[in-house]
Amino acid sequence: MSIGKNVITLGFIARHPEIGVLTSFFSISLIFIVRIPDKFLTIPTLYSILTLAGELGVASIGMAFLMITGEFNLSISSVYALVPMGVVLMVDLWGVDMLAASIIMLLVAYGIGVTVGYITIKTGIPSFISSLGMMMFLRGILLAVTGGFSLRLEKDHWLADVLNGPIGDLGLRTSAVWLLVLTAIFAFILDWTPYGNWTYAVGASSNTARELGVSVSKVKLTNFGVSSLLAGLAGLMALSRFRVVDPTLGQGLELETITSAVLGGCLLTGGYGSISGTFLGAFLIAMTRVGLVLAQAPAYWYSAFIGIILIIATVINLFIVKKYVTSG
Amino acid sequence: MSQQKAKITTTTLVIAIIALIIGALIGYAVASATMVPYSKYAELEKKLKEMGAPAAPAAPEYTFYYVSHGGPADPWWAPVIKGSQDAAKLLNVRVVYSGPEKFSIPALVDLLNSAIAARPNGIILTITNYNALDQPARSAISQGIPIIAVNVPDPRPANQRIPYLSYVGINDYDAGYYLAKYLIDKGYKPKRVVIGIHEVGHIGLETRAKGITDAITQAYPGTPVEKLDITTDPTKAAEAFKSYLTAHPDTDVIFTLGPLGSHPALQVLREMKLTGKVHLLTISIDDTILKAIDAGELDAAASQQQYAQGFLPVVFMYLYVKYGIIPPPQVPTGPIIIDKAKLEIVKKQIATTGGA
Repeated sequence: MSIGKNVITLGFIARHPEIGVLTSFFSISLIFIVRIPDKFLTIPTLYSILTLAGELGVASIGMAFLMITGEFNLSISSVYALVPMGVVLMVDLWGVDMLAASIIMLLVAYGIGVTVGYITIKTGIPSFISSLGMMMFLRGILLAVTGGFSLRLEKDHWLADVLNGPIGDLGLRTSAVWLLVLTAIFAFILDWTPYGNWTYAVGASSNTARELGVSVSKVKLTNFGVSSLLAGLAGLMALSRFRVVDPTLGQGLELETITSAVLGGCLLTGGYGSISGTFLGAFLIAMTRVGLVLAQAPAYWYSAFIGIILIIATVINLFIVKKYVTSG
Repeated sequence: MSQQKAKITTTTLVIAIIALIIGALIGYAVASATMVPYSKYAELEKKLKEMGAPAAPAAPEYTFYYVSHGGPADPWWAPVIKGSQDAAKLLNVRVVYSGPEKFSIPALVDLLNSAIAARPNGIILTITNYNALDQPARSAISQGIPIIAVNVPDPRPANQRIPYLSYVGINDYDAGYYLAKYLIDKGYKPKRVVIGIHEVGHIGLETRAKGITDAITQAYPGTPVEKLDITTDPTKAAEAFKSYLTAHPDTDVIFTLGPLGSHPALQVLREMKLTGKVHLLTISIDDTILKAIDAGELDAAASQQQYAQGFLPVVFMYLYVKYGIIPPPQVPTGPIIIDKAKLEIVKKQIATTGGA
């Protein structure tokens, strides 16, 4: 028996949590390719999917990073609206430059993330609760300040075109480029740097990590901050395209980012996951949405579809983890 | 351990604190600047406060309670409140407006019960949830306190519904129906219609969509009218519209059921350079919508003129209590269809009442 070959295969699968999402990805694409080859396999469709995956994907990367650390941050859905709202207020009310306003609000976003982390670590309550509280708190502030009405960004700014401007005539947008670049950067950090190692270690077993000299709290706080920061950036991307912020913007994003992360192989318990998998997860969600509309399926089925995909992909992931990761 | 904690305090935490201070400052500044450019209601709120001051020369003849699910903090209701107070002033009656701070059916029931306990001459009430309001409303009527329904009617058949005098307001079906009728009455024959629905399963929105569908299929049977789940997220809404327009290039009319649908739809039409080629109609207005109507990017928007929903029920209640004049069972305040021709008069309405 070729033990060597077997080990390589096992190692390959164990180190690639994307297998589950890839399986779903190919099965779903196949359905669409067979059903609507002329409409599905086109460049504009690809761009449309990437655009749809853009904001979701960027926010999901942060969520995945934090989930690998073993924590959640549900407040990102409110941060997603808070950051653009703050920018619009600063730009329209005080005439602050959009770039300066964006940097300030992103710092605020980072601060909110760290605060949620700090509360979680200091008090020992689950981050699910602390961030849920923060999510509701921030959403309440948004609704109270705006009175439930949307705000409009009146001035044009080059930053808006950089964050989410059109590239060419076929529907490609800079948000897609941001998603790809950020996926590459964070995948690199996670898999190729010591910091990525610490992140895995903290998520798998924080006690062991601590004994090995990893500053558990610092890693957690940073990743809380990053998840919030990326959600804020995604919110700015949404603003840059539509120039309008509704106080309800981003509601439900927290669960959708968790869906992409879990589809992409992240475990709810932490210590395992992948950024490229998360990207594929977000892409898969976007592809399903676009594909169903293109296939002229009653769009009301979308949610049912995603539910089934989520369960199947997670079962595959869990199977892989049980079989190859925990025992190996 | 302690060294580790010290590190947190010195680095990450400092950043967090600084960021939070900035955030707090912004929040404070925003709150203290009272968002004047955004709230066209700020002026109005000031006026409302002044109105609250006792200025009436004689003691008010009657007291009516206006119990609604719309809290005073919700700007949509500001014109309603103003309308009710204006009517009260003209007729020399007292109208006590009460609505929960935050949308809550139990709070609404509580407010209704305290209104009944105050034994007013009449109650004006939104039937936001007929199950919850049925018992207290019936008990008020049996105690001789007449009720006029506003904004939301009791949808049950006449023999089952709460026996209120009249309903003042619009219904969602009409809002959709007359909006679509507007397009048809202009002589336009749609090839394919898509209705972007931003909260699937929301009964009010589904009813609006049904009104639109009925108006179009009655006029032109066989015209495809499809509902599209666009969600409340603008990016998803935009790409859903885009995909739909790609899958069905013959689409020439888009309906949206609120600003959450009309904002992304406008953006997509601009991006795809279909403005003017694909007709866009929507329900309820805001600054963006008015601008788009003015620019010819949006055909028309339906509105329910909420000031009238504050003013008229007070008048009807007064006529009933004082002279025994029975109001008609239903008094519509809309839908009015705002297109470019009506823009000026609607702007006047917004300037004088605070909304439309």
